[in-house]
Amino acid sequence: MALFRRRILWVAVLLIVGASAPGWLGAYFLGVFTTAYYFGVFAMSWDLLFGFAGEVNFGPTFMIGVGAYAAGLMNNAGYSIPICLVAGTAAAVVSGLALALPALRLRGPYFGLITLVAVLLLLDLIVIFASVTGGEIGMMVPDVLSISATVNYYYAFGFLVISAVILYGLSRSSLGLILQATGQDRIEAAALGFNVTKHKLAAFCVSAFFSGLAGGMVTFYGGLASVDTVVSLAITVQIVIAVVFGGRRTILGAILGSIFLILAGELLRPIGQLNTFVVSAIALAVIIFFPDGALGWVLRPRDPT
Amino acid sequence: MLDTTPLLEVDGLTKRFGGLVAVHNIGFTIRPGEILGLIGPNGSGKSTVMKLVMGIERPNAGSVKLSGTDVAGWPTHRIARSGVGIVFQHSRPLNRQTVLENIKLALLPDSLLRLVAEPHVEQRAREIAERVGLGGVLARRPPTLPFADLRRLEMAKALARDPKVVLVDEPFAGLTPSEVATFSELIDGFRRDGRAVLLVDHNVKSVAALVDRVLAMYLGQRIAEGTAEEVMRDETVRRVYIGGKIEAHPRKDLDKKGGEALLEVRGIDVFYGKAQALQQVAIHVNAGEFVSVVGLNGAGKTTLFNAISGLVPFAGDIHWSGETLHGRSPARIAREGIVQCPETRELFGELSVRENLDLGGQHLSKEERKEQLAWLLGLFPILNERQRQPASTLSGGEQQMLAIARALMMRPKLLILDEPTLGLAPVILEQLSKALARLRETTPITVLLGEQNVTFALPHADRVYVLEHARVVWEGDPGRFAEEMGTGYL
Amino acid sequence: MRGLQILIDGFAISSLYGLGAVGFTLMFGVCGVLNLAHGGIMLIAALLGWWVAADYGAGPYGGAVVGILAGLIASYVTYFVVVRPIQRSRAIPRTEEELFLLTGTLLWGVMIQVGMDYLFSNNPVTMQPLVPGVINILGVRTPQNELLIAATCWIAIGLLSLLVNKTQIGKQLLAASINPRGLTLLGFELSRIYLIVWTIYGLLTGLAGVLLASFFGISSDNAGNLTASAFTIVILGGLGSVPGSLLAAYVVGYAETITAYLINPTLRPIPALLILVLVLYIRPRGLLGRR
Repeated sequence: MALFRRRILWVAVLLIVGASAPGWLGAYFLGVFTTAYYFGVFAMSWDLLFGFAGEVNFGPTFMIGVGAYAAGLMNNAGYSIPICLVAGTAAAVVSGLALALPALRLRGPYFGLITLVAVLLLLDLIVIFASVTGGEIGMMVPDVLSISATVNYYYAFGFLVISAVILYGLSRSSLGLILQATGQDRIEAAALGFNVTKHKLAAFCVSAFFSGLAGGMVTFYGGLASVDTVVSLAITVQIVIAVVFGGRRTILGAILGSIFLILAGELLRPIGQLNTFVVSAIALAVIIFFPDGALGWVLRPRDPT
Repeated sequence: MLDTTPLLEVDGLTKRFGGLVAVHNIGFTIRPGEILGLIGPNGSGKSTVMKLVMGIERPNAGSVKLSGTDVAGWPTHRIARSGVGIVFQHSRPLNRQTVLENIKLALLPDSLLRLVAEPHVEQRAREIAERVGLGGVLARRPPTLPFADLRRLEMAKALARDPKVVLVDEPFAGLTPSEVATFSELIDGFRRDGRAVLLVDHNVKSVAALVDRVLAMYLGQRIAEGTAEEVMRDETVRRVYIGGKIEAHPRKDLDKKGGEALLEVRGIDVFYGKAQALQQVAIHVNAGEFVSVVGLNGAGKTTLFNAISGLVPFAGDIHWSGETLHGRSPARIAREGIVQCPETRELFGELSVRENLDLGGQHLSKEERKEQLAWLLGLFPILNERQRQPASTLSGGEQQMLAIARALMMRPKLLILDEPTLGLAPVILEQLSKALARLRETTPITVLLGEQNVTFALPHADRVYVLEHARVVWEGDPGRFAEEMGTGYL
Repeated sequence: MRGLQILIDGFAISSLYGLGAVGFTLMFGVCGVLNLAHGGIMLIAALLGWWVAADYGAGPYGGAVVGILAGLIASYVTYFVVVRPIQRSRAIPRTEEELFLLTGTLLWGVMIQVGMDYLFSNNPVTMQPLVPGVINILGVRTPQNELLIAATCWIAIGLLSLLVNKTQIGKQLLAASINPRGLTLLGFELSRIYLIVWTIYGLLTGLAGVLLASFFGISSDNAGNLTASAFTIVILGGLGSVPGSLLAAYVVGYAETITAYLINPTLRPIPALLILVLVLYIRPRGLLGRR
């Protein structure tokens, strides 16, 4: 119980620090954190699928990208931002279901590959239909969430907190327990009477919902949906790093990992291109030496024996 | 009890994997409060029957009726919801959750919308934990629990569903005698609840005290059915487990040679996770000797051989020609003369018979290889005819001979044969037995043979160890085995 | 005329794809490792080869030798620095080893790509042809270099096939891919076998990188796509099946060439991906896969 209270205290401190950041951070760093927060949602959604449902999905950017581009296209067609976000999220959920179908049939590397292929196909489609999507340059959108760094920061912060509460809550709920059971051993879960297919599909839907919504938000934050910001494999790599670094199966660790990743990228900017090299090297060292990640290590079970 | 209708009725159940018939026309019924033992050696198809009932595999033919409803071919989760629970042999609990949460999981409805468990779930989980004896460790996490408690957790999960039919896979594997007693009591409790129970195990002995009836399987077929007593006395069952009449021909002259100790296993312990697979096992094999280790499936024979071959970590010491084997790689141990022919045979299926043999002989010089090959093809003439065939196309008996021949290609100082008779028809056993006899008579080879089939193991043996529940319980002359161990073995 | 052109170009491209994929599939078949830094290793071989050939005047052949050696060293580093520590780590549960290997090699691939980008920029470079000149085949003007590349690929694949099928070491590799435990019981050290595979893999992949640089040219931006094509070809052919990979290389090579010539060069990568999705749905183990 003492431990639980201490955790509440930590969360409260972090919330206060996060909420008061615009008071003491410059616009530049507010922007950095804004990006990191959206990234945190990407990573948490991925952890729900990977850490809990046990699906090695190399195509999170398929869902993010579909959400972002669908929202962008709607905006260009003249719809308002909220409608575009709803449409983008809906499109992302459909794409998530499309990814879930092979997941029910294929195992391990085969499923991993097909998710990778889904991303490559999306990339090719974006380039081929460059007249609509803007191709490699990206698609500008007429509307943005706000031009104020502070307002944008609060949008991202609020979105992150709400997503975290829901995703973390889900992971600790009955559904989270069942998902973990299905992810660990389909047969045993089925023998306990759980319809594995149904729960996997649900996990994909939830993950796609938050990925797609976050993709749409990112589009209206930057006024641009582009391959580099929402689809490229580099984003996938960063999501995987963030989750593994922060701690798999913790949901909240994904936020820590994302903030570390984005901040490290910024702080290492003086060394130029090499910053990706250094960040990747650190992540590689972490997965080899501390495979449970930062939060996983802090929260590792320490029962009296 | 006679007027109650059966809870589980299985009829004509058949399952084929490719060309292999794993289960052929199996049928049985279990009434409320009845316990049926389903026994058979490894590979007899008993586990497949269990999976077919649970819906983990789909039967090719036959019916599985649950209180009259045929559930054969249904998905597992629907069968589970209809009232069948299973206690798996290997538990895979959620390691990051507590014992209580693990039990609560099993009590949850199969719903996406219920995010918070109903209040009675907690209460019910505690009751179940209390009943299986986990009351004191509710807040612990599975990785910190002893083995018996992990098995209790599996029992608790199965109970949580309040199943009408409970399937238990190897209920007592890895448990100590006192734990066996408490688990028997638990399973007996299922009977008092009016559940139908199916116990799946290797042999009658371990479940005899508990079951009302036993169904014995071999090579996918039913070979006997009746009370535990009847099945143990059954001729066919005895032939499968013990073989026929026990013969022994120890070579008395060996004592005069007084062969030096080639291999000495000095009281080793082996654990798989938390289950103890070997406990203070000590054996020795002298040069030129033919030693048999007999014991039922699951007694620890394979573990002992794998420890000698360096394939599983162990505590204690094993000496080979006076030197410790600690720190040597399995491959090096094999090159130094301890060659194991495992029960799984481990052949290279897509490679030809000849290629398999050549691989075994790669450490020899060209002349030696030729010589050894010629000798082996003489010892196993059938392999000569099949030289160009892929190993996977051979029959079971031929594969076993190939496995032995391949091991012999290495010119071992000590040949370890693990369950060579596994799943083989009686005719083949005879051929194999003759080959071993020739080997024993014509070469100075030292052999360590592990067998469940006593009739196969004893005629060749100079000395015998009996392994039971991870311990050596008897050691001596094969001539004395029949009178001292003959009845107590099964 | 155009048909013949497609036939010749497609053949050269497919051969190169085949060479690029056999090492990858051999690695998976024997060692069970899907190396997502595959494209990175090709990149190192290509760029170092080009650099030595152009800047140090070593000529195309000297560059090729250096490139292949660089590929070999990169392969060893991948094994000893990334793959083996993950395989030997006690903190990583065996059931999750595959995921960690995928993630680890993916990160390592990113490090290589960024490192090469830093050293050589991401401008595409083309190694000068090993042989200059053009030859006329029934009216199709074909660079002699293209033919030499196709021939080299087939010689390398042929040598590999000889090694696997005719030598004692080859038999050990085959046996290890079928049943590693059986091989241990026969006294062969798997660690030695794995080292041999990483050596062969490094040489094959290095050669593929060098030939690629000489045929198409290469840039550090290509690393990810190179891995993806090798992965695609190997999955299409059936994981671990060398003949399957070669067949798949030709399917992909010709599908791309036909699309590029007859439909539109920008659509080049699409058909291969569609074929792959189709095959994975209908026959998940690939064209010639065993399982």
